[in-house]
Amino acid sequence: MMNFLLAVSSEEYSSPTLRMGSQIAKSFDATLNVVYVGPKPKELFAGRVSLARDSLAKWEIYHPGIEVLRWAFHDLQASGYLENSGENGFDPLNMVEEKDRYRLVLPGSYGQEIDLVLREGEIIDELRKECGEEDYTLSIIGGSKGRNMAHDLLQYLPTSVLVMKNVDIDKSYKLLLCVDDSSATKRAVRFGGTIAKQMEMAVTLLTVSKHDKFGEGYTAAAKSASRYLDTLNVPYEQNFLTGDPVTTFIETAGEDHLIVMGASSRSPLTKFFLGSKPMKTLEKANCPILIVRGE
Amino acid sequence: MLVDIIYWATQRKWLLIALLFGAVLYLLPTPHGLTSNGYHTLIIVLITILLIIYEPIPLPAVAMLILIFQVLFGIATPNEVAASFMSDAVFFIMGSLMLAVAIVSQGLDTRLALGIINITGHKTWRIVAGFVTVCAVLSSFIGEHTVTAMMMPVGLTLVRHTSSDPKKIARLTALILFSIAYGSAMGSIGTPSGGGRNVIIMGYLSQFGMGSLSYLQWMKYAYPVLLVEIPLAVMLLWWTFRPEKTILDSAVRKLKVQVAKSGNITGRQLVSIGVFVLVFLGWVFLSPTIGLGIIALFGVVLYLAFGLVEWQDLNRNTNWGVIMLFGAAISLGLQMKDTGAALWVATKVIETLKIVTGDLDIIRSFVSIFLTAGLTNFLSSAATVAVLGPIVLNMGGDAVIITLATALASAFGYMTVVASPTCMIIHSSGLVKPSDYFRGGWKMTLMSIAVLFLFIHLFWPLLG
Repeated sequence: MMNFLLAVSSEEYSSPTLRMGSQIAKSFDATLNVVYVGPKPKELFAGRVSLARDSLAKWEIYHPGIEVLRWAFHDLQASGYLENSGENGFDPLNMVEEKDRYRLVLPGSYGQEIDLVLREGEIIDELRKECGEEDYTLSIIGGSKGRNMAHDLLQYLPTSVLVMKNVDIDKSYKLLLCVDDSSATKRAVRFGGTIAKQMEMAVTLLTVSKHDKFGEGYTAAAKSASRYLDTLNVPYEQNFLTGDPVTTFIETAGEDHLIVMGASSRSPLTKFFLGSKPMKTLEKANCPILIVRGE
Repeated sequence: MLVDIIYWATQRKWLLIALLFGAVLYLLPTPHGLTSNGYHTLIIVLITILLIIYEPIPLPAVAMLILIFQVLFGIATPNEVAASFMSDAVFFIMGSLMLAVAIVSQGLDTRLALGIINITGHKTWRIVAGFVTVCAVLSSFIGEHTVTAMMMPVGLTLVRHTSSDPKKIARLTALILFSIAYGSAMGSIGTPSGGGRNVIIMGYLSQFGMGSLSYLQWMKYAYPVLLVEIPLAVMLLWWTFRPEKTILDSAVRKLKVQVAKSGNITGRQLVSIGVFVLVFLGWVFLSPTIGLGIIALFGVVLYLAFGLVEWQDLNRNTNWGVIMLFGAAISLGLQMKDTGAALWVATKVIETLKIVTGDLDIIRSFVSIFLTAGLTNFLSSAATVAVLGPIVLNMGGDAVIITLATALASAFGYMTVVASPTCMIIHSSGLVKPSDYFRGGWKMTLMSIAVLFLFIHLFWPLLG
């Protein structure tokens, strides 16, 4: 069974991420771990902040992260992702400390596997630590983060990454499956196909070459992708375009697609200095984008 | 593997930058007028400042690095470093962190809530005035973080009872939280026990042989400053965060009901207050002979002996890294004095500022007040005093006045989250934004500096 990590920061910013992310997790029948990552107090004052928090807890005023997780839990119930078991499963007193994170023990059953985790610190660092804690396949995170977010997510997270940029949950999204000869494309097609089938999305298979001629690797990958979608009975439209790949992906996707593409196979050092196609697409895209790592 | 190395380098970049910066300075020739040991001490100071601001490695590691560098650079022998690592000021920081845990765990916050509300009634401005005053007065004796930890639940409960939608009462929330944070921070100037930094600079004053200040003498100078600041702070806070609701009758009623459930004051609470009164009397009457730190530790022992707090609780909530860091920082401060580094920097600062004005009093005031208040916003109050203390005390002039001016100005860090523990504590509620600190903070800073300036030049000379 796959394990998905979904990062939330607040009700205000994370609502679309939670709704769409949980739907995608359901498509794969994956375990969903909702992870709150909030600011960490400066170490110089950490002891005193913790003292104040203990004092607040006696008045039933909890860490802001607990309130965010409480909202996430109830929102997942409201959206139908979790079944309402009739009992109030969310009790802040059931928060257990585990190494460098806190996990809420949820008594009862809710129809889906779910874990609620609280972490404090810099987002990439905490997500990396979380990935060290459990074997995650996909990390789902909200858009509009810091400047180097695209780079850091793809460079440092060991999982596939879904960034919920500019998401509107009332919009009906199509799926743009970017196909090239990279080794991760095959898995990206499998991911994209599953999502499209489960969420009934229209699919565009897109292969872009910088030159007029499409290499053998590109055409073979496109053919294999179309065959896979055929076996799933997912309807699709297939396009071969010429131009700068990143610009073409972004222009084709607009704001109403979920882009799915394979991760780059460049070396970490090359990616650090020169970036990569997925990195640039992620940076510039105006819609949700899923970058799938190869196996 | 390669990813891990790249990641480590990006995460630790400030450690690498600090060490590289230190290495480059080390290779440069020693500046004229400075001894080699003095120069090396200053290099360690600069590295320490970067490591405290950016925290690329845990604080205990910074502390150990300071000690290691002192020995490696040949500034002092291991035994000399070890001897300078512990002082009464470090005892005080240790004792005050533990006293905070002991006091906060007694559940006195409900008593405070009831006391304040009974006096202030339900008008918002009166509640704010009550919060600022009570926080300021209490924190002047028991320390700012202790008071903030006790008052935060009271303030947030009031806010929560006012509306369940935080967006509708964002300004009221900020007003209440900043009343607590700024009131407590402001109050910490009132007596030496208000903050560890007061004791650090008092320690420098006596260890450098430049004079001494008793608990009551400090109060004589500083308490009037605090009393003038309290009403001004209330006005500034009200002006900055004009609340959405000017009457909190229903919230006050609900708070009273909630607090009433805790019943009458218990014998345990009375004993804990009694222990603190003893500690306070010890600070007032015995500290000149046995030191503030020893008395604080004695208070901790009494709390433990009476079974008012468990050692496990003290241990869990006492940040030993902070204690180590201040031990190392004070040791470095002493080396700054002994190696002549502090005097060299003080002379350079005075020479540079003489270009602007020839008035030495103005220059000293500028450095001890403006520079301290400014640096506090980035480095935190106690660390600023630990680093700047030896320099300002070497600028000449009345050492007692300089000591007080620097200690008081270090409480004026109102503009950032990292300026003081109180600012960080209210930020941890998730209900105030970093920009809120600047909105109210610059006004508070200017007001506090103006009041202090007037006191230094008009009132303090009358005290002799």
